[in-house]
Amino acid sequence: MLQLAGHCHCGAIHVILEPGRPTAELPLRACQCGFCRRHGAATTSHPESRLHIEATPGSLNRYRFGRRAVEALLCEECGVYVASTLEADGRRFATLNIAGVALAGFEDRIPEIAIYDDETDEQRLARRKARWTPTVLVEAQPSA
Amino acid sequence: MSESAFTWRAGGCHCGGVRFEVALPAIVEAQTCNCSMCAKTGFVHVIVPESRFRIVKGAERLAEYTFNTRVAKHLFCAECGVKSFYRPRSNPDGWSVNARCLDATEGFELRIENFDGQNWEANAAGLAHLSKEHA
Repeated sequence: MLQLAGHCHCGAIHVILEPGRPTAELPLRACQCGFCRRHGAATTSHPESRLHIEATPGSLNRYRFGRRAVEALLCEECGVYVASTLEADGRRFATLNIAGVALAGFEDRIPEIAIYDDETDEQRLARRKARWTPTVLVEAQPSA
Repeated sequence: MSESAFTWRAGGCHCGGVRFEVALPAIVEAQTCNCSMCAKTGFVHVIVPESRFRIVKGAERLAEYTFNTRVAKHLFCAECGVKSFYRPRSNPDGWSVNARCLDATEGFELRIENFDGQNWEANAAGLAHLSKEHA
C-alpha cells in the first residue's frame, strides 16, 4: 500500500499518509481563514485516506481558536503547522497541511481556494466528519 | 528614497499576541522561497532595513528556531505558531516580514517573485541590498 511520509522542519513530528486513491485525485485546499493564510497552508483530506501522526513527546502545541472545536497541531520546536484534528463519535479526523510536512506528490498542484465563512457550527462539523481523514495521533519517539 | 516615501503598516500573528509595524513603499518587492524552511511555513518575504521595522507587542512570546548555519533566527509565536517576521541569513542586518501577516493589503502593490532558496549560496547576494538603510 502506498505510503507518503513527511515531517515538520525539525523532524519532531512525523506523518504517514496512506492516500487510499491516486494522490492526483486528492483535494488540495487553500483555506482563507486568518490562521491558514498566515501559515500558508495547503491542506488535503479524504475519508478513504488514513493518516498517522507521530509526535516526539513534548513537541506538540495544540492550538485552539474561534469555536475551539478543532486542535491545530503545531511543532513547539520549529513552529510548523502540521494538521488540524477533531475528535467526534470516538474517532479522530484530520486535515493535513501538505506544505508544512512537504509531502511528495503534490508539488505541481495549485490549491483550490476554500472559504467556509458562511457555515453554521452543525454544517462545519458535518463537513469535517464527511471529508476529513481518519487519523491516529501518537506521542512517541519517532520509530524511523 | 526619502523617509516620507514610506508608510507604516501594521500586522501580526493569528492569536494577536505578536504585533509589528513595517514601513513600506507604494510598490513592495516580495519573495517566495522554495527552501525547506520557507516552503513549510509559507513565508512571503518583505525584507527591510532595521529602521523600517518595529515590534509593537509580544517580543517575549517569540520562540526562536535555528538550524544548519544558525545565522537565520526563525521567530514564531509560541501560542499560534505563526512566523510574522524573522532575522534572515541573507539579511542579518535587517528583517524579513511575512506579507501574509499584514493586516491589510490595500494601499500598496505587492510584487511577488520566486527566490530559489534551494540554491541559496548562488542567489542570496541578490537580496543583500534590501536591508541597506539607504537603498
